[in-house]
Amino acid sequence: MKMTPLAVIVGSVLILATIVFVVVILPYADTSKTVPSGIFRQRTSEEAAGRATYIANGCVYCHSQSVRTIDWGLGAERIAQAGDYVADHPILLGSQRTGPDLSQDGGEHPDDWHLAHFINPRYTRPLSLMPPFEFLGQERLAPLIRYVQSLGLKDADKRMARQHFWKAEAVKAYEAGPDANVAWLNAHIPQGWRAIPNPYPTSEAGLARGHKIYQDFCLGCHGPVGDGMGPAQPWIYPPPLNFTILKNREISGGILYYQIMNGITGTAMPYFKRDLESEKIWDVGDYVAVYFINESDANSEPRGIDAAYEP
Amino acid sequence: MIADTKEIFENYATAKAFCLTSAFWMMVATFYGLLGATELIAPDLTANIGGIVFGRVRPTHINLVLFGFVTPGLLGSAFYFIPRLLGTPLYSERLGVATALAWNAALVALVATLAMGMTQGREYAELIWPIDLAVVAVFALAFFNFTMTVARRREKILYVSVWYVLAACILTACTYALGNVIWRPNTGALVGIPDAILLWFYGHNIFGLLLTPLSAGVAYYVIPRATRAPLYSHTLSLLGFWSLIVVYTHVGTHHLLQVPVPTWLKVVAIVDSVAMVIPVMAFLINIWYTAKGKLGEIHADVGAKFVFTGTIMYFFVSIQGSFMALPDVQRVTHFNNWVVAHAHIGVLGFAGMIALGGIYYTIPKLTGRPLFSRFLADFQYWMVLIGMVGFTIVLTIAGLIQGNAWLNGETVYRVLPEIHVYYVTRAGLGLLIFTSALLGFYNVTRSLLAKRGAMP
Repeated sequence: MKMTPLAVIVGSVLILATIVFVVVILPYADTSKTVPSGIFRQRTSEEAAGRATYIANGCVYCHSQSVRTIDWGLGAERIAQAGDYVADHPILLGSQRTGPDLSQDGGEHPDDWHLAHFINPRYTRPLSLMPPFEFLGQERLAPLIRYVQSLGLKDADKRMARQHFWKAEAVKAYEAGPDANVAWLNAHIPQGWRAIPNPYPTSEAGLARGHKIYQDFCLGCHGPVGDGMGPAQPWIYPPPLNFTILKNREISGGILYYQIMNGITGTAMPYFKRDLESEKIWDVGDYVAVYFINESDANSEPRGIDAAYEP
Repeated sequence: MIADTKEIFENYATAKAFCLTSAFWMMVATFYGLLGATELIAPDLTANIGGIVFGRVRPTHINLVLFGFVTPGLLGSAFYFIPRLLGTPLYSERLGVATALAWNAALVALVATLAMGMTQGREYAELIWPIDLAVVAVFALAFFNFTMTVARRREKILYVSVWYVLAACILTACTYALGNVIWRPNTGALVGIPDAILLWFYGHNIFGLLLTPLSAGVAYYVIPRATRAPLYSHTLSLLGFWSLIVVYTHVGTHHLLQVPVPTWLKVVAIVDSVAMVIPVMAFLINIWYTAKGKLGEIHADVGAKFVFTGTIMYFFVSIQGSFMALPDVQRVTHFNNWVVAHAHIGVLGFAGMIALGGIYYTIPKLTGRPLFSRFLADFQYWMVLIGMVGFTIVLTIAGLIQGNAWLNGETVYRVLPEIHVYYVTRAGLGLLIFTSALLGFYNVTRSLLAKRGAMP
């Protein structure tokens, strides 16, 4: 084959044009008619402004918005559909997950949790390596939080309605004083859980593991001594629970387990069932009971048949 | 008249300008990489300095590596070997130098706009519209200069390096404009899933139609010259060239295998990703058989040593790339540091190594003097090689930890402490690469700018 300049230039451009037709234009004809999915709604102008801030600060480089069939964790309740993205301009699928996928982040936390998290991510998530975004200032953080709370669109709206409802209830309970607050918290735990003591015995090893879990997950809000004065406290209302007032308030191991597992929707207390397996929740619950409440029901009746590993 | 022509011919101002551009921006680009790597291990170190928040540092690093360090480095040697191969001076050195100046202006604007948060938010297509126009313009100007040089050639036969350089410039001008949706100045994007498909078509073409053909062009020039051996096979040159353009342009959707895009398009992307073996091996067999039995000559020339190492890295990155396009493999590798390792083998190990090799091979020809320091260049070679291989090892390990942990149901947050130590090592290796860029810039500057007779 004789490679004349014409052959090289015109030949390669023609090949490119053909391939653009096959892998860009044909798929465009195929996908540009995608119908909106069941959760789709348009964004408000404030959410759109927040999305612009999200783009300007490169959030997309660490947070995907693309939940796959193989995923666990944040957002994995819904596998992404093409119709979820019909208004995304540009689409923000992302290519890396240094942080969690945010497709369905809306309503996972109340607004005050997000504010504390943006001021410094380690306030709410001590192991995070996300940069602090305090420099954005309130005027850009507020729309950014609206955008994040809209992720998941109609599903996010339902979760946000749930957050707002329980936030009002939680504030009412908190403002009624510690006794009423603890009674309210306990009253919303299924009876079965309330009656269960921590079925495993307290041990030095278990407390050491609980201490590590506490530092990695809890310390930002509840503080190093469990008094609810962690660095996130100034941004959160109702403020993080002070464990040191809980003695003689009927806090069972089961109550602690349930609250850690399921979180308290409406407050900044997230659920940890995705982050922590069963043993880790029992361990950190007992750590809180022993060190901060100074009252642990570990290994008391009814405890069933002792687990095989117990000494 | 003849003396005049000879002077211009030996002047090579454009080639020098591009070599200097590459050496300078390699420092800035690797500094941004080091900064980003440091932020991942100490996120509060640069707390609340908006201009260097990680999400702005990462695209700056990537764009500067692609368009500041590697592409100008490869073009630097191209502006030398194209006139040599065609037996005629460059059509216009003045236009060439103007292109290099415009290129640098675009790079300064790139750094400034991304630092200010002015981005279109699409990976590899972040730059705002005016800079997009400038990038298309500089590729078009380079293409024009090369084409006019071809038109005035005295050598009838076009050597394979010339095909690659011409194709790289014109095809990149086209796909850059297309991929950046240049007809929509405000957003530079389509809407929804079509945007993802177009973005990754374009994104992969940055490697397939820019870095790879330019690198191949340099390797096809440097290896036969350094070994004083004729090219092994014209047929393989043809096969490698045409199959590269046909196959590489189909693979972009392998970035979207886990996304709801049409299945037939995923099949096309997977099949062509595997078929990448054809252009890759056609090129490599051609180069390696040319160099067969002549590794001594390659060792003797530090530029050729860089280039030859780059071809070995091309083998690894391409075979790995075909493998990574398989859906079963991607279940583990997608979304994590495995891909970052892959990118560093490709852009630093392959294209970056060849860019540096082209610069070090070319500079003595541009100046008529040996390099300022062959030792420094060799030292840089080892720093880059160790840094790059180190990146690959630690980031691949981190990626496997992440991918398998996620598949097993561990949350992203839980895995962060498990990869911390690899992030620390990566930042250390980044310091090595950044230091090598400082040495390289010093060496290139002293080699190019020393006055005649100033050398001992």
